[in-house]
Amino acid sequence: MTIAKYIKIWWLMSRNSFSMVISQRLSFSVFLLGKVLRFSFFFAFLYFLLQGTKTLAGYTSSEAIFFFLVFNLIDVISQFLFREVYRFRPLIIKGDFDYVLVKPVNALFRVLMGGADVIDLITIPPLIFVAYYIGHSLSPTFAQSLGFWILFLNGLLIATAFHISVLALGIITTEVDHTVMIYRDLTSLGRFPTDIYKQPLQGFITYIIPVGIMITLPAKALMGLVAPAGIIAAVAIGIIALLASLKFWNFALTKYTSASS
Amino acid sequence: MIQIFVAFFLWDKIFENPGRIVFGYDRSKILTYVFAIIIVRALVLSARAADVAGDVAQGELSNYLIKPMNYFKYWFTRDMSSKILNISFAFFEFIILYLILRPPLFFQQNILIILAFLVSIVIAIMIYFYMLFIVSSVPFWAPELGWGSHFLVTIILIEFLSGALFPIDILPAGIGQVVMSLPFPYLIYFPVQVYLGNITGALLVKGLLISSIWLVILGISMKYVWSKGLKVYEGVGR
Repeated sequence: MTIAKYIKIWWLMSRNSFSMVISQRLSFSVFLLGKVLRFSFFFAFLYFLLQGTKTLAGYTSSEAIFFFLVFNLIDVISQFLFREVYRFRPLIIKGDFDYVLVKPVNALFRVLMGGADVIDLITIPPLIFVAYYIGHSLSPTFAQSLGFWILFLNGLLIATAFHISVLALGIITTEVDHTVMIYRDLTSLGRFPTDIYKQPLQGFITYIIPVGIMITLPAKALMGLVAPAGIIAAVAIGIIALLASLKFWNFALTKYTSASS
Repeated sequence: MIQIFVAFFLWDKIFENPGRIVFGYDRSKILTYVFAIIIVRALVLSARAADVAGDVAQGELSNYLIKPMNYFKYWFTRDMSSKILNISFAFFEFIILYLILRPPLFFQQNILIILAFLVSIVIAIMIYFYMLFIVSSVPFWAPELGWGSHFLVTIILIEFLSGALFPIDILPAGIGQVVMSLPFPYLIYFPVQVYLGNITGALLVKGLLISSIWLVILGISMKYVWSKGLKVYEGVGR
């Protein structure tokens, strides 16, 4: 099946997912309001904090806020794309994953990207606008901007690897919700520049669970704080993480028992 | 636990210089605030009554209504047992984090302040219980909003406005005053500040008075909303 066909399938599945969410307007409005409030409250906290402290771990107010915005962008985009992961557990528990496996569509694609989240989609454009505005005020050079975009896409690659691993672990253990919560808790460590953490925690969240590479490094690249060799190493780690997660997924598939079906 | 790590290292970095005072806090008091949140959260914000929304939305409430027992007392009892369980976990969490991070903690020794802290905790527990029941009443009118209303109130509003993430007094005075007139800061921020000895004398009495007023308002509101809800309850799903 060609990529064009997969894009068409993704569009169809996303449209269905959007229709489902929008049909419950009250619930949709409450969740949208909640997400906007959560971002606004955190932004306000960071803003007022930096009003008092002036700097954070050596970064100026704009730089510290930019770290927070990059965290949000990667978090929201991955939630928008991979929302279906949150609905994977019932498929495993009831054995309904059988119906996914027998269809002529890649099963991983279906359970990873089968239900984009319209609420997150709505919050992405304003977030991009604010990130662009703050990022632009840091006066990056072309090379710094390029480094940022490469590492930003690399961050999404690592987020993809995390979500694939959650799915694979879901097949083996039938546990998805708590694993997703652990993933989200771990990525929340990147809400602030990882420089605030002391060793060995800083090393652990940079290289072992690459939250630092996923979130902090793109922002640092825009500030000109990452050397080309660092960018290459980060991309290599991103690719290795994705390949390892795919291998884990293939292994997990061999453990699927189709229980309850 | 990770949230505590984030908060701890954030403040630890800000107060890297031990003599620094920001927002009226020194290093020891702000890190005690972060650690006190572990215990106060376990005492106040751990509650099972959030499940009431599910009972209402799925019609499970009918099973309880026909039993000869007080539904509120039933959930309050479950809340208490949940708190006991959570406080034991929080105690271990506290010890482990203390051994890992070795923060310079501030231990309150004034018995009157400790007594006022305990009173503020009791009020906070009751306020949270009433809040949960009010929020859980939403599915009487909109069953699909069971989780949505909790997401908005308990995860967003309470998390930010209670002081569970940051002390309210880092906000500008005007905003801080507005927030302090709401019931949320009396769940976490106020008890912790009382413990730290930052709120004493007239301010302490004022805080206890405001939180008690909220306690009465929320208690009356809960009974009113619940009785209205029961009149429209149809036991859908049973």
